[in-house]
Amino acid sequence: MKLNMVGKNIIRVDAEAKVTGEALYPQDIYLDNMVYGKTVRSTKPHAYIKVDIREAEKVDGVLKVFTYKDVPNKNEHGVVLKDHEVFASRKAIRVGEPIAFIVAETVRACEEAYRKIRIDYEELPAVFDPIEAMKEDAPKIHGDSNIIYHYKLRRGDIEEGKKKSKYIVENVYKSPMVEHAFLQPEAGLAYVEEDGTVVVVIATQYPHYDREEVAINLGLPEEKVKIINTNVGGAFGAREDITAQIHLALAAMVLKRPVKVIYSREESFLAHSKRHPMIMKYKTGADENGYLQYMEAEIIGDAGAHCSWAMNVLRKAGVHATGPYVIPHVKVDSYAVYTNNPFTGAMRGFGATQVPIAHEQQMDALAEKLGMNPIEFRMKNIFRKGSITATGQVLVDSVPLDRCIEAVDKSFKFSQLWKEGK
Amino acid sequence: MVDISLTVNDRLYEISIDENMRLIDVLRDELGLIGTKEGCGEGECGACTVIMDGEIVNSCLVMGFQANGSNIVTIEGLKKDGKLHPVQRAYIEAGAVQCGFCIPGMVLATKALLDKNPNPSDEEIREGISGNLCRCTGYNKMLVATKKAMVYMKGE
Repeated sequence: MKLNMVGKNIIRVDAEAKVTGEALYPQDIYLDNMVYGKTVRSTKPHAYIKVDIREAEKVDGVLKVFTYKDVPNKNEHGVVLKDHEVFASRKAIRVGEPIAFIVAETVRACEEAYRKIRIDYEELPAVFDPIEAMKEDAPKIHGDSNIIYHYKLRRGDIEEGKKKSKYIVENVYKSPMVEHAFLQPEAGLAYVEEDGTVVVVIATQYPHYDREEVAINLGLPEEKVKIINTNVGGAFGAREDITAQIHLALAAMVLKRPVKVIYSREESFLAHSKRHPMIMKYKTGADENGYLQYMEAEIIGDAGAHCSWAMNVLRKAGVHATGPYVIPHVKVDSYAVYTNNPFTGAMRGFGATQVPIAHEQQMDALAEKLGMNPIEFRMKNIFRKGSITATGQVLVDSVPLDRCIEAVDKSFKFSQLWKEGK
Repeated sequence: MVDISLTVNDRLYEISIDENMRLIDVLRDELGLIGTKEGCGEGECGACTVIMDGEIVNSCLVMGFQANGSNIVTIEGLKKDGKLHPVQRAYIEAGAVQCGFCIPGMVLATKALLDKNPNPSDEEIREGISGNLCRCTGYNKMLVATKKAMVYMKGE
């Protein structure tokens, strides 16, 4: 087969603009007659709020302070469930949740107005531990239950698997919340074209979703909303959920002037999603010959205050829970749970990244019980061509995992050192 | 307001600025040199790196008035007569450019390193760009690019 691209060194189309400093990110764009925005965010994780913007609006240079009352249509958005409010209306459910958007002639006026916004918080009991949040009497973040999603995977017969297992290891693994820390903090502009089209200039992973959400919130037909995606200064999943898009579009539409916002690094941390922390309870069993017989896992993912992609991420964690191993008897339950923590969403691997922390340490612990080289133990159990996964998928194409493990083993001299007792 | 004069990319500027402006604000908002990026505003990420009197500095940590009388090179000053600087060319060819937000600072840190030390070891290269965070590449491509640039610079 003749390949035109694969194996060739292709120069990326935007590389020259990026090494010369000509590439534009939203913060680099300046428009005539432009004004500036600043977002006011909740400082409490769970509280009823009352917002007083009167003094802030009196500050010289302030054009308007937007709150939920100014959103013309629905005050909600979200990639799966519409459980983000554009601006918190009655209650704030996390630190960093947007409450108001100040627009002024200068950044300095925005900052002065920011100090004059009064928010009265009536604090509510909050929940930060997803296991606590699953209990009936836990404070509820949305609706009647904090459990957003439960994924069940069943294969074979767990009792049968236990009977066949001479060695069983049982452990709980916890993975932390992680910040993407893309290098370009969120920034954006919005303006209105002569025919009334609202244009948002932003670095985003989903211009098409953004357009739909902005149109719904503003009560405009989709063809009257345009999203221009600039260069994106890193994303890693954290630009999948809306941040400034709706605030900017609303302000530009009402004020009829270009509006720009730039988040500081600190605000960037508050504004976007994180990686789901997971609590992973694993039981894994192998027979006397070192063949895996069963695995039982319960995985609880902390979604924080908004769903974002929680169900998709926890499904993926459940699907990948066995790791690349043939296990005849499998039971997996994965849950996504609301808490008052920062919300979690997409991040590199999307749920498949957390579970190896658990399944690989289970492999090491089992190999140790068997007194077997952990490489040899893995080679006995890995997926190969023709293997069937716990979800019932038959792997008919290339599965070169054995080659990968051999190469790693050789490079690290792992088996050699293991034999020497190191 | 305070009057300052400074040379940026071989051009002399005499301007009047707000006392509380940082050098990065002077470059971006006053001179329109938006190639200098702000990633953190507190000297951690190095995206705002510029060369000031031959030394790399975080332009978010230098006040505008402190740049009075200095000679500054920003990313816009590297391409000369339509020709890329060897470091720029090497970064493109090595595939060291992904999202691009760290690149102006990273390229300037690399240039400053090679201006002082035309034959850095791998360790010296890593040290030379250690003040510049990149969240995409894992830095190995910058190492490859710097070695390419070493060769190109000797050929000039």
